[in-house]
Amino acid sequence: MRNTMLIAKREYLEQVRGRAFRLSTIGLPALFAVIIGVGYVASLGLGANKHLVIMANDAALADAIRTQIVSDKDGTPNVDVAAPATPDTRAQLIRQVQSKAIEGFLSVETQPGGLPKASYTAQSSGDFITNDRLKQALNDGMVTERLAGSGMRPAEADALVKGISIETFQVKKDGSVVRSNAQASFWKGYVMALLLSMTTLIYGLNVARSIIQEKTSRIFEVMLATVKPSDMLAGKLIGVGAVGLTQIAIWLVAGAAIMVTPFAEAMLTGQYAVHFSWAEGILFPVYFLLGYLLYSSLFAGLAATCETEQELQMYMPLAAAPTWLSFALIILIINDSNSVWSIAASLFPPTAPIIMFLRMASEMPPVWQFAVSIGLMVVSIWATLWFSSRLYRVGILMYGKRATLPELVRWLRYS
Amino acid sequence: MPVVELAGVTKAYENKIAVNDLSLSIDAGQMFGLLGPNGAGKTSSIRMMMGITIPDSGRVNLFGKPFQRESLDHVGYLPEERGLYKKMKVIEQLVFFGQLHGLSPDDARKRSTAWAERMEIADALNKKTDELSKGMQQKIQFISCLLHEPGLIVMDEPFSGLDPVNAVLVEKTLLELKDRGNAILFSTHRMDQVEKLCDAICLINNGEAVLEGNLREIKGRYERNRIIVEFEGNPAFLNSEEIAEAKNYSGHAEIRLKPHGNAQKLLHEAAGMATIYRFEMVEPSLEEIFIQTVGGKANA
Repeated sequence: MRNTMLIAKREYLEQVRGRAFRLSTIGLPALFAVIIGVGYVASLGLGANKHLVIMANDAALADAIRTQIVSDKDGTPNVDVAAPATPDTRAQLIRQVQSKAIEGFLSVETQPGGLPKASYTAQSSGDFITNDRLKQALNDGMVTERLAGSGMRPAEADALVKGISIETFQVKKDGSVVRSNAQASFWKGYVMALLLSMTTLIYGLNVARSIIQEKTSRIFEVMLATVKPSDMLAGKLIGVGAVGLTQIAIWLVAGAAIMVTPFAEAMLTGQYAVHFSWAEGILFPVYFLLGYLLYSSLFAGLAATCETEQELQMYMPLAAAPTWLSFALIILIINDSNSVWSIAASLFPPTAPIIMFLRMASEMPPVWQFAVSIGLMVVSIWATLWFSSRLYRVGILMYGKRATLPELVRWLRYS
Repeated sequence: MPVVELAGVTKAYENKIAVNDLSLSIDAGQMFGLLGPNGAGKTSSIRMMMGITIPDSGRVNLFGKPFQRESLDHVGYLPEERGLYKKMKVIEQLVFFGQLHGLSPDDARKRSTAWAERMEIADALNKKTDELSKGMQQKIQFISCLLHEPGLIVMDEPFSGLDPVNAVLVEKTLLELKDRGNAILFSTHRMDQVEKLCDAICLINNGEAVLEGNLREIKGRYERNRIIVEFEGNPAFLNSEEIAEAKNYSGHAEIRLKPHGNAQKLLHEAAGMATIYRFEMVEPSLEEIFIQTVGGKANA
């Protein structure tokens, strides 16, 4: 045990002192913040400053559509009206589009006793956001105009088509009712699951990389003269795992510090209310540790059979497959986080950490499901360690070529 | 009581027998040379001694007891495949290895510093390993084997990669350790070093011991049929009927007598033709014994 802890300490200090640790500790959350920030900022400007023309034979309808478009606070286009349209209007507008004087024009032809026919002609055919906005504006404008036509005051008609927003509240296990937002909750779960999968993979692969480096530097034989292979493997797993926990602890502390700022407080109590529970705070490191041990013990065995990091790349799809599967199940989880498939995926060890966090985002699963999922993960880790330690103790002394599958099977049989 | 004892040890990998029924023993205060061509089974034998691999049959005893991992606390091992943590500072690396052998951090640090001064690498203690030359790294590994004052020192090719000055430094250190009562085993291809340092040898080929015992005794088993002659004058005596083969290097001749060739008769013939400054019957060198014993049977 003493030697295991010495190896763990060496591994921990080497990694924590390394540049890669500092970069990923700061870089990974910063990357998330930048991605989310860029996405948000970019969405603010969508449709802004676009010059559009509404061509219609019904001037009142054209005005009603224009009012709807310019009232959309997310997009602030410059909208002109060409109504009533003459036979030359269409040709003129096409020329304007061609000369890029305008972005596009919406043509609305009202037909007696029927719905109007509408078309949008523009420079770009792929701008589905503008298309959707125009469609919404056209429908709202038409309803407003019809309501006004049947005697309703324009302001009343306008208010009616704006619709009513629904505030959402969630009843917690303790009976308390808190304001919630399904979208914000989902994104919280998604980001936590993504962070979990990334850290698990990064540190699992760190173990593999460290083994290959030691194999390349031929240090194993020196070590094996004093330490048992199982102690070496255990030391490595503990050391690298502790590095991961340190990084998560730094993120949690930094996250807690950020949350008490006025900006974060506003975010957490406003429309995008996000609630972090103690359970999430505790379960995040627990699932990290379990996921990390599962992946790292598997990769330790596989790395011992490789000569170079390039050879290890061959096993990458094996590492990424459970993550892909987990994220492919997102729709299933959002739709019903308590369906049989959702529960099964959250108990299946390779997908359990990510799926559990996605489920927790919509509703806290019962305690027994956590117990079963953790129990199954512990059993899987034990089985993977059994398999890997056999590959490891033979593989680390094999130099020169990558082991073939029949050789790996023979290694597993060595007692 | 032998410090190391291998009794009828056999190890096979896949379809190859690496070591076959090997027996040897090394006493305290003895320097033992393990010789053999490439692939003969030297490293496989050493790995079994160190518990890195387990023999298929036979027995390995360390310090008079069947092999147990605890015994390795008293063994210093320098493997053929050298390895150090490249990004670690030398002093941290030495302290780490010292601690793995049971030393306290303080003790390991003191001993590392003392050994570094002795091996003339004190300036390198605070450098990272990958900043050092191969020879320096070799000396660091050498020190890491000795920090815990082991009773048995096992070194696989300890002189490879060392320049002559550092090779002499390592030789001197090994001799001092031997004089202090340490048992030392090393494998090498350098026969001159074995002749100079070892008390006993084991020559293995194809996994089997083909020659084993005290170096003097082994050499004694071979006929003294080599003669060195230093002379001035007529070299015609080198065509004598007593001689099987002769090489003349301008007054320095190396002669191999025929079986039952008469050295006295040859001396008489030589003295009649030239002035003789030296006429010495020498025992065969270990290299000659090695080549004669292993001959064309070597794998490499």
